[in-house]
Amino acid sequence: MRLLLIFTFVFLSGCNKPEPLYNTQSYIFGTLVDISIYGESEARAQAISDQIIRNFQDLHSRLHAWQPSELKAINQAFALGKTPVSIAPDIAAMINEATKLSMQSKGAFNPSIGGLIAAWGFHYDEFKPVKIDENKIKNLVTANPKMTDIVIEENKIYSNNPAVQLDFGGYAKGYALDIALKYLREQGVKHALVNIGGNIIALGKHGKQPWRVGIQHPRKPSAIATLDLDSGWAIGTSGDYQRYFKLHEKRYCHIINPATGYPVQGIQAVTVLIPPQMNAGTLSDVTSKPIFIAQPTTRAEAAKAMHVENFLVIESTDRILVSKALAKRMTWLDKDAATHATEIQ
Amino acid sequence: MQQRTPLKFNNKPLAGDQLVIIASFALVIVLFQQFWSFEHASKLKIRQGSKIVGTYDLDQTRELHIHGELGDSHIIINQGKVRFKQSSCNNQYCVHQGWLSLAGQVAICLPNQISLQLVGAKSTYDSLNY
Amino acid sequence: MTRSIINISTTAEDHHIAKLTALAIGLHILEAIMPSPLPGVKPGITNIVTLFVLYEYGFATAAWVSLLRVFASSLLLGQFLSPTFVLSLSGAVFSLCALYVAQHLPKKYFSAITLSILAAFAHIAGQLIIVRLWLIPHTGVAYLIPIFALAALIFGVINGLITRKISTNNRLFKNKSLYDAI
Repeated sequence: MRLLLIFTFVFLSGCNKPEPLYNTQSYIFGTLVDISIYGESEARAQAISDQIIRNFQDLHSRLHAWQPSELKAINQAFALGKTPVSIAPDIAAMINEATKLSMQSKGAFNPSIGGLIAAWGFHYDEFKPVKIDENKIKNLVTANPKMTDIVIEENKIYSNNPAVQLDFGGYAKGYALDIALKYLREQGVKHALVNIGGNIIALGKHGKQPWRVGIQHPRKPSAIATLDLDSGWAIGTSGDYQRYFKLHEKRYCHIINPATGYPVQGIQAVTVLIPPQMNAGTLSDVTSKPIFIAQPTTRAEAAKAMHVENFLVIESTDRILVSKALAKRMTWLDKDAATHATEIQ
Repeated sequence: MQQRTPLKFNNKPLAGDQLVIIASFALVIVLFQQFWSFEHASKLKIRQGSKIVGTYDLDQTRELHIHGELGDSHIIINQGKVRFKQSSCNNQYCVHQGWLSLAGQVAICLPNQISLQLVGAKSTYDSLNY
Repeated sequence: MTRSIINISTTAEDHHIAKLTALAIGLHILEAIMPSPLPGVKPGITNIVTLFVLYEYGFATAAWVSLLRVFASSLLLGQFLSPTFVLSLSGAVFSLCALYVAQHLPKKYFSAITLSILAAFAHIAGQLIIVRLWLIPHTGVAYLIPIFALAALIFGVINGLITRKISTNNRLFKNKSLYDAI
């Protein structure tokens, strides 16, 4: 019997062999960046992740919405009226791509509402409850800034609408994932996992197993489910629990509906899983927003418009919708959530 | 009284018994693997910025003060669980996260750039999507 | 006033069964009031009596002793028809079913240890089914299943060994068996 018990403990504790996994964390884009590289020497893994971190810091400083940056300069020129300023080719490409996605989402994803985001006080590293200025919000909505107001000619940019203020808060992290994946592949890295503030992209595997990611429960300090992230796949979540403030017991999250000018209410999280493609990371960041902003009845439609097949919508602890495709891929950890989940499509 | 069949008696399990014990034992192991995927963490990794401040045993009662970007974060370890007690940030999300105890759980104080990560022998997942 | 006397003819074997049932009830109640380190984890010592009766008197008698024990104990503990009773009953019924099948295993290779383990596993299976279907209709207690299974294995082996020991003694003393001594 004693022997059996010893066996039990040996089995349960599992084997503790060290594995060639390098992991580093840093704070960029106002969030946590976590890079794991598997199967490379530590020195090489460190050199590669250091370069990725430098690339991220560079991108962040160029796209900063409220500190001097290339983006800030463009926004200042927009506010002055049709004043063309020069623009770097990669940022021009980014704006073109964002415009395409914004049109695809019928304006629900709209990175030109920087003015509204600032009015809600989300343009600070530390945000506090703001005094809600209804008139200001109304004016900003009426001004109707759209991505299609932006004109890029040769290497100059200007806006037909002075209200356009670019904010790549819902785009840059995903875009950075794509950059990281490209760099990792160029360097010949076979296996890596990059997590920027919750948006994750996978390359290869974690040894023999695929990379496994947990999906955060929007109201508990634990994961609600796990899923295997195969090579090239990306996952992203829009939630009301990452950046928000509470005023009079009401939660105001950082995701603002461009049509109303107000933070979206009545939804806790939308998670999307994107199959491998050129801009999988970008799509994992962008496509959850239109689903988050949509009406409860039009969420599936919004997902379809963004060509998203794998999505999870948590409206409240007892109302959880998961697309059939995603349900097949994920494993619930939170039994309570599992019993409240409904499959759709 | 009916005639009883004489049986051999000794304390050693018979061949069939041994088989049953081994099979049951295998079943128990499978059940543990099936139902105990949530592993309780044994260690806590605290990071400040990109540096690891330290790795701490979770099975103790201890209070830590970690100096971050904005000031001190007060962290308590209490016999298998850990939480932010106080942090020098405005939003206090980290404090609202409450107690963490399972491998893979993470609490982050972004403004103060301090993260708590629970690690066990095997984590349920590699990274967390939030 | 006339006294009505009901005469039931009983055999010596009936008396043995009654004594054994009484013993089982005693053990059942003892186990019920004994503090348990983990809710639901019990050594299942009444199984020793069931197994012993199975070996000595056959399946039908063992079933009677087991079911009588469940009903009588719950009445004595004031738990009749309560969830505890239903759990006991379903555990007993499931383990009897397992024993019904397992009694046909060749005795040359399978002793009381096997029967005890199988009965213990069937017992927890029966109880867990009731828990899942009726008492806690979600999978929140799933993580307890491995613990129950481990307990069933350990106590199954121990109870099987005890049963063999008692049966051996019983054979050695033939006419002066254990149950006559109590």
